[in-house]
Amino acid sequence: MSQSVAIHVENISKSYGTFRAVSELTFKVFKGEVFAMLGPNGAGKSTTIRMILDILKPDSGKIEVLGGALTQATKERIGYLPEERGLYRGVSVIEMMVYLGTLKGLSPADARRRSMDYLTRLDLAEYAKKKVSELSKGMQQKVQFAVTVLHDPELIIIDEPFSGLDPVNTLVIKDLLLDFRRRGGAVVMSTHLMHQVEEMADRLLMISRGQQKLYGTVAAVRAQYALPAVIVEGQGEWKQLEGVERVEHSENGRMGDVLFLKPGVQPDHVLGEIARRDDMHIRRFELAVPSLNDIFIQVVAGERYEQSVVGR
Amino acid sequence: MSRLTLQIFLYELWRGLRRRGYLFSAFGIPLLVLLGLLIAPRLAGVAAQDAAESISRAQERAAQFGDALGYVDLSGLLEGIAPSNPRLTPYPDEQSARAALNAGEIAGYYRIEPDYLETGAVTTVMPMLRLDSIDSAPIRRLMLDALTQGLDSDLAAHLTRTPSYTTINISLLGAKEGGGLDEGSTFIVVYVFALALLIGVFFTNGYLLQTVIEEKETRLIEILISSVRPSDLLTGKILAMGLLGLLQMAFWVAGIILAIQIAGGGAGQLEFLASIANIRLPTELVPLLAIYFVLAYLLFAALYGIIGALSNSMREGPQYAVIFTIPAVFPLYFINLFATTPDGTIPTVLSLFPLTAPLAMVQRLAISVVPLEQIMLSIALLAASCVGALWLAGRLFRMQTLLAGQMIKLRELPYLLRG
Repeated sequence: MSQSVAIHVENISKSYGTFRAVSELTFKVFKGEVFAMLGPNGAGKSTTIRMILDILKPDSGKIEVLGGALTQATKERIGYLPEERGLYRGVSVIEMMVYLGTLKGLSPADARRRSMDYLTRLDLAEYAKKKVSELSKGMQQKVQFAVTVLHDPELIIIDEPFSGLDPVNTLVIKDLLLDFRRRGGAVVMSTHLMHQVEEMADRLLMISRGQQKLYGTVAAVRAQYALPAVIVEGQGEWKQLEGVERVEHSENGRMGDVLFLKPGVQPDHVLGEIARRDDMHIRRFELAVPSLNDIFIQVVAGERYEQSVVGR
Repeated sequence: MSRLTLQIFLYELWRGLRRRGYLFSAFGIPLLVLLGLLIAPRLAGVAAQDAAESISRAQERAAQFGDALGYVDLSGLLEGIAPSNPRLTPYPDEQSARAALNAGEIAGYYRIEPDYLETGAVTTVMPMLRLDSIDSAPIRRLMLDALTQGLDSDLAAHLTRTPSYTTINISLLGAKEGGGLDEGSTFIVVYVFALALLIGVFFTNGYLLQTVIEEKETRLIEILISSVRPSDLLTGKILAMGLLGLLQMAFWVAGIILAIQIAGGGAGQLEFLASIANIRLPTELVPLLAIYFVLAYLLFAALYGIIGALSNSMREGPQYAVIFTIPAVFPLYFINLFATTPDGTIPTVLSLFPLTAPLAMVQRLAISVVPLEQIMLSIALLAASCVGALWLAGRLFRMQTLLAGQMIKLRELPYLLRG
């Protein structure tokens, strides 16, 4: 991963009257990575994105985008797709794309050529001259995405990129985003779909009530929340194992049992012990690492991870 | 104008010109009026033919007997008076007059009522009502002859002579020397200016409201303001909608002139239009009128931008607009005051206050010589208001984006405006 910084946010805060929307937030986004911004509704994600794009001014702190303060020239190197988005309904798809492309500094001819390229890639070429209102919601979403990347930006900021898309179109957009990352672009993605973050994101920032809760690589964040336990599925009296302190049974039995290890005992020691015994057989053995969804719930709702693991 | 503002201006202009609603109101309505003018005479002709047939008999009778008329004097005032008009025949009583009418000897008769001296009552009797046959001149002349009987003939001639009028079209004579316009031209200048401004503002701002509300409805605005400053976006829109409004006015004026010409017989209207066009304003007034028109246009467009930003539907917008449009026409209520004391306190204050300045200052300029410093101050205040209103409209435009269509609470205004 390149360490060239695309966004550098340093200690920013923003209040609306007495309500503190963002509080002393600091993070970096690097070029060539997908960076996920997570948090519950009203956590301050949109406010943070709007401050990055200079739509809102922070009360304090500093923001650098693509190497400096945001200027008109910098804006032309950014693609932005907000959660609340739309297109003029009464105009043709190609006209809409060319107009928005020219606002990003493209010549009309260049904007038209690129628009047609993207429409072809997205299987929408035949709709180029149709009015936006004649397109389905999913098609409009794809056009909006194409507009976001039309001017070949260095940084893309997308709020809920897969909202309103069916699984096939989700895959298409996901591939385009990952392709963009491979070419060295930076993607900031705000989403509630945790499995998409696990699949796509390199690093993440979780905000709750305007404050940073989690920040780092996805693997590191998950490891940070890993328990001293393993999940096993099979037959045997797990309590008899030397390294196991206690066993929690899953409520429905489908997900196996959670074996909490004694202090200092490593999972591979337990696995070796099971393998040596003839009265125990396993079909599944895994570390009790929580999913991002579990972590999200735990952080946001204050639930204990142990309860969520045992309860599922 | 920045590159982005120009791009938005051109795009909005192009988009607006293709809107069905605009095409209909700009071209369709004048076209319908023209068609109406072409078709109406034919339809009227058919109806007139039926009516013409029904009265043709009466007309034939009138042609046969000429315009012979009779009269019956029940007042006794015309005793011994011989009518000087050979068309007029006296009858001693109504029966004989009616008999002559039935016999077709006369086309009608006048009955001078007994109380004529007190009431002036005269009744006209004719076989069929024809507006073109109602003529009080013969009996009036007869009564004048009776009343002046016995007077010196020269004196009688003086008393009965119709005054000789000479009409001068003052609008063609230009401005009076040494200052303002004559009263007639002043009213025309003020009313034409007010009418042009208000119609322009009305048209333009309908489109502006529509396009601002559309931004909110489509939710494209947040994408746009990530590329363009809200004030640039709004300026581009305002200029485009302003030009669309002016173009529409131009089409309508052209349509009216064409309609008058097609309708024919519109010499009077054409003369009126020509007289407006021929008003010779003092040279220094023309650029001032232009400045006030443009600034007023921009100010009201920006104010409508604010209304658009605050409204969530086309239904709400015009209701809020009254707040600005009533003060704008306020100076017209004081037109007499402006005519008598153009440099008084109220005209001066109204000509400085930005919302009322365009119409107030134009009235003063047309009537008197306004001190240069007052003109400068008025224009400066108007220009500053335009900039302020544009800025505020841009801010509110952005706020509405952030609030996603929620109504703004007054207590939230300061920090929302700060951004």
